[in-house]
Amino acid sequence: MFGPKVKLEKELFERVKKFAGRAGYSSVEEFVSHVLEKELAQIDEGESEEEIKKKLAGLGYIS
Amino acid sequence: MNRELKYLIIATALVMLLAGGCGSGKSAPANGEAKVMVLAFDGLDPILLNQWMDEGALPNFVKLKKDGDFKKLGTSIPPQSPVAWSNFITGQNPGGHGIFDFIHRDPKTYLPFLSTTKTQAPEKFWKLAGYQIPVDEGSVTLMRQGKAFWQYLADAGVPATIFSIPSNYPPVEGPFRSISGMGTPDLMGGYGSFSYFTDDPTIPKEGEEVTGGQVYQVSVDNGELKAAITGPKNTFKVVPEGEYPPDSTVKFTVHIDPENDAATIDISRQRILLNRGEWSDWVGIEFEMIPYAVSVKGIVRFLLKSAHPHIGLYVSPINIDPRDPALPISTPPEYAQELADVEGGPFYTQGIPEDTKALSHNILTNEEFLQQAHTVLSERLKLYDYELYRFQRGFLFFYFSSSDQLTHMFWRTMDRNHPAYDPEKDAAYQGVLKDTYMRMDKILGKAMDKLGDQDVLMVMSDHGFAPFYKSFHLNSWLLENGYVQLRDPDDRSADFLMNVNWSGTKAYALGINGLYLNLGGRERMGVVPVHRADALLDEISNKLLEVVDPENGKKVIAKVYKTSEVYKGPYKNLAPDLIIGYAREYRGSWQTALGNFPEGALIVPNKDEWSGDHCMAAEVVPGSLLANRPVKLSDPKLYDLPVTILELFGIERPKDMIGHNIFTGK
Repeated sequence: MFGPKVKLEKELFERVKKFAGRAGYSSVEEFVSHVLEKELAQIDEGESEEEIKKKLAGLGYIS
Repeated sequence: MNRELKYLIIATALVMLLAGGCGSGKSAPANGEAKVMVLAFDGLDPILLNQWMDEGALPNFVKLKKDGDFKKLGTSIPPQSPVAWSNFITGQNPGGHGIFDFIHRDPKTYLPFLSTTKTQAPEKFWKLAGYQIPVDEGSVTLMRQGKAFWQYLADAGVPATIFSIPSNYPPVEGPFRSISGMGTPDLMGGYGSFSYFTDDPTIPKEGEEVTGGQVYQVSVDNGELKAAITGPKNTFKVVPEGEYPPDSTVKFTVHIDPENDAATIDISRQRILLNRGEWSDWVGIEFEMIPYAVSVKGIVRFLLKSAHPHIGLYVSPINIDPRDPALPISTPPEYAQELADVEGGPFYTQGIPEDTKALSHNILTNEEFLQQAHTVLSERLKLYDYELYRFQRGFLFFYFSSSDQLTHMFWRTMDRNHPAYDPEKDAAYQGVLKDTYMRMDKILGKAMDKLGDQDVLMVMSDHGFAPFYKSFHLNSWLLENGYVQLRDPDDRSADFLMNVNWSGTKAYALGINGLYLNLGGRERMGVVPVHRADALLDEISNKLLEVVDPENGKKVIAKVYKTSEVYKGPYKNLAPDLIIGYAREYRGSWQTALGNFPEGALIVPNKDEWSGDHCMAAEVVPGSLLANRPVKLSDPKLYDLPVTILELFGIERPKDMIGHNIFTGK
């Protein structure tokens, strides 16, 4: 898009591009944004997905 | 010391302690010395109630109905406890209070979180010798919006006590007495996580994932077992960036006496002797975060299931100690301590204390679960007697969870058609629910004895109950109908929608009844244009209403609610776009709630001990309402009750409350 640009090493960019396509992302930007959002969410909350699951799991309504 | 004298001493001491801070000295309630009481039995079902009233098992309910009234009480959409209780607390629907499900999601990350409470860790630290000392305070915030009705009571100087109401953690502050209920976490910050220590290699069964607790395989050396209870993460420890802080622990040693099938547990300078099948009292434990400087207190109860030939030691979720709460659980803070004095020690403070997960995973047997649930009830009863004793004027709300949790777990025992019914295990327990309702009847009797004709008594539940025979994999249905695309179509097991290709996904389900569009401008990678949203919701709704169980031809979904139509208030934009109202016998699957896409049949039998449920269409599971005077309103609903309570005290109904007075019908 038109937001700030981030520089990646060429080799890493190629790998990201290859994986993004294989994993079904429509663009490298979408893939990178998704990964960063996920990571940031965890840092913000200080919790891993496993932690979230553990907390929810005590609720009888879900297993 | 007799009980009343003890109550008098505790109550007098607290009045002196709290004088000036708790409504004392304010003007009298508008209707003088009359009392208004709401007795809440979570999940009390009007059909079961009627049935056992007709059988003569519930004399107090029969008398209340005869002298006053008994009606069905319209519940919330969806009929989940945090949503329903928020309707009751605020006199609004979810658009006004912002609680739509047990589980909400962040549209920017698609990750789920607990809906009623947000925990914020401290941001600034002072680092010293491998530890970090927080400079600012972290916070725990109640996410329910809207003013609680007892805040209006307090504004008018009406003394109020609110015991264990759900969706009120941390409890709102003001000049009243309240302790938080459902939504109060265990010390780990979740809904409750037990520990089970055993050297029996067959537990858990191969391939079984134990949720809601942790099974620790341990080894016994020379009759001795050394292990540790895992506590909250030690956020005081400095760790390299990107790593999570280590768990705090409390070590303990078990000395096994195989001859007597007994064991001694040494923990935190205490020694506990337990025989097989015996529960301990509450045991205080302390998690040391910074040696000699910072520790966090909790309480646990042990159950020695067996000492020989295998050790089987159950440890309850770590509850917040009401004598010295690590997190805020009462208003004023001293109220928790007052209740501990009444109890003669600590009590269950965890929001949903009955350990249903331990029963679902066969860590506790039917009998052991019942023992635990009855302990919860007997603790509550002591506090109930105390609050009834000291109730002289104003308003009292008192809540019991047993009717809900036991109906979830024991429905199967009285329903031979239930897929989880096991004639061998369940026959002996088919009377549990009737017995529970009889216990509630006795509780009601005490309130009726206490209150006079001039006083108002309302008995209510947040929803009713129905059998939960089968689960519906809503996310898998969305996938099969082309509304979801997976990045790796062969990976159907990833939790939390992690394998979803968002650029090809129009809708997804998360939580127990919620369905969201992947909406442009709202979701991080939303693709559905806003102008297409309504037509797409209609299309999905119509298709869902046609889903039929191939085994019996029954409709799986009774009603689909468009939240833009049924919700009112400033928060309706945060709601799921559709609420799925399942038909009797059906519910959203466990996997759907966590954003999973199981393969195979879309409708699967529910063989879990969790066999009764209410997360269905609101019309399928109304709650119960009884009062000691006629209810004029023909179709009373949860949000009508706070309006009624306020008007009984002569308080004008707030503009944002949407209900009517059940007694005047206006």
